Amino acid sequence: MVTRILDRLIWWIERLLAYAFIAAVGLNFINVIGRYGFGQTILSADELQIYIMVFMTFLGAAVVAWRNHHLRMDVVVNALPLPLRRLVRMAELAVIVILTAFVLWNSAYYAEQMFTIGRVSDMARVPMWIPHGAVAVGFGLIALIGCLRFVQALTGRPLGVGKFGTET
Amino acid sequence: MSFALGVLPVVLLLLGFPIFIVLLASVSVALVFFMHMPLAALHQNMFGSINAFALLAIPFFVYAGELMGRGSVAQRLVDFVQAGVGSVRGSLAVTTVGTSAIFGAISGVSAACVATIGRIMYPAMRRAGYPEHFAAGLVTAVGAIDIIIPPSIPMIVYGAAAEESVPRLYAAGVVPGLMLSLMLAGYVMWFARRNSIGAGEAFKFDHFLRATARGVWALGMPFIILGGIYGGIFSPTEAAAVACVYAAFVTRFIFRELGWRDIVEAASVTVLFSAQILIIVACAGVFSWLLTVNQVPAAIVAWLQSLNISAWTFLLTVNVILLAVGCFLDPLSAILLLTPLLVPLVKAFGIDTVHFGIVVTVNLAIGLFHPPFGMNIFVAQSVLGLELRAIYRGIIPFLVIYLIALVLITYIPAISLGGMRFLLGVN
Repeated sequence: MVTRILDRLIWWIERLLAYAFIAAVGLNFINVIGRYGFGQTILSADELQIYIMVFMTFLGAAVVAWRNHHLRMDVVVNALPLPLRRLVRMAELAVIVILTAFVLWNSAYYAEQMFTIGRVSDMARVPMWIPHGAVAVGFGLIALIGCLRFVQALTGRPLGVGKFGTET
Repeated sequence: MSFALGVLPVVLLLLGFPIFIVLLASVSVALVFFMHMPLAALHQNMFGSINAFALLAIPFFVYAGELMGRGSVAQRLVDFVQAGVGSVRGSLAVTTVGTSAIFGAISGVSAACVATIGRIMYPAMRRAGYPEHFAAGLVTAVGAIDIIIPPSIPMIVYGAAAEESVPRLYAAGVVPGLMLSLMLAGYVMWFARRNSIGAGEAFKFDHFLRATARGVWALGMPFIILGGIYGGIFSPTEAAAVACVYAAFVTRFIFRELGWRDIVEAASVTVLFSAQILIIVACAGVFSWLLTVNQVPAAIVAWLQSLNISAWTFLLTVNVILLAVGCFLDPLSAILLLTPLLVPLVKAFGIDTVHFGIVVTVNLAIGLFHPPFGMNIFVAQSVLGLELRAIYRGIIPFLVIYLIALVLITYIPAISLGGMRFLLGVN
């Protein structure tokens, strides 16, 4: 059940990020055309593109975690015997949960501070708790994924495959 | 502190933990247990590392390459180069080198080059009588040129990590990339002559014109990117965005090969690839800040100075380290992990950081196909269905050529800096 919900959520995040990214490309292109064609630019465009990249980075990292595609150097660990490899995997999941929960707490506090003081960006007037909150949400999702996988590994249940063909 | 910044990351890296977690573990342990600093520094530095307009060039260039890599762009480039090469001995192998160099000026993602060009050229070379190991080695090794010829994603990442100008790095990468292409072309021509492998069709001007007309839209991309940057029209990030729109326009409306769904699909692939890299950039930013705050680079500089080693020896040592690291780690992660440590040393030895950026890129390009774990080896294996043994055997002569080029690029800075000065019009 949790796997299915997460799978659908991740699918939607991936789609939204893809459209947001296309919008960032469009904004940049419009600014280039505006500068040379009409002598005008959208002043807030650079900020908006950066915030889209912030979302791509941290929410995208959750999507990558769900797909098990994070970059790693697995040459040594792959040479270990299977029981030892499982042990390392369990340790890795535990470390992931602890660390990402720590960043979630840290970033959520920071975003809350931004919200409390009502800070907005210089040009686009974007409330700053939104891009800062993306860090918390991204790491929160990774923590959730880590928890799910840790429980699955602990109970020895076979890893499921989500509706969208995702390895979980 | 040395446990948090030295022992812990190495142990976690060897245990196969995700690289961003390795960095995050290191900085979290240092901040919580060894330093008396507000924990908000973690979030601030992580956010601050990504809050940089120049980094947008990474997803933009990946997207442009992703769009151009779908459909018939590679085949059009192959036809164009082949028509130009004519009856040269080993024309198919030379075409593979030439097409990869041009593809490198469009894409900047090495694995894409191996997969796209390899799919077309490997069967063609086999049909023409090239030995399996030679064809396999060539398509695997030649893709590494992709990250040396601009636009290069590793150079953007190095530029961000070393606080060096990306246009200067791009300009410095042109001559080494072309030099490597010529060296590879020279070797494959010699190999074909020695093994009496057939020449291509004689050069026909009308055929060349037709192939040029078919390929002109694909060939326009490098002109837009490099012409735009060095003509002072765009920044690298803007050039990348214009390249995306150009690629979408050409593949959607000129070639009529991609639908809107494909364009969104390519964006989705780009987002995932970029997230893999950018999350490491974010965590490496905090790691780099911690190294600086704890004066680690300064301590290493002082230690090296006490050893009285020359710049020559330093570069040799760095090359050996980078080659070893490149065998196990992807280029972008390696750059993010090592640049904060190496750049202060490079400056202390009076080495130009642009020149060093090219040395780093060439080293890590070699790591992409260096046995036993180079990423391109596995791309070639999976896409072309080749045996690892054939690839390993075939790679060796190309590896030697790359190593010769690396020595030349390392010890003759004019190869990279001369091209940069020429392109930028500076002394």
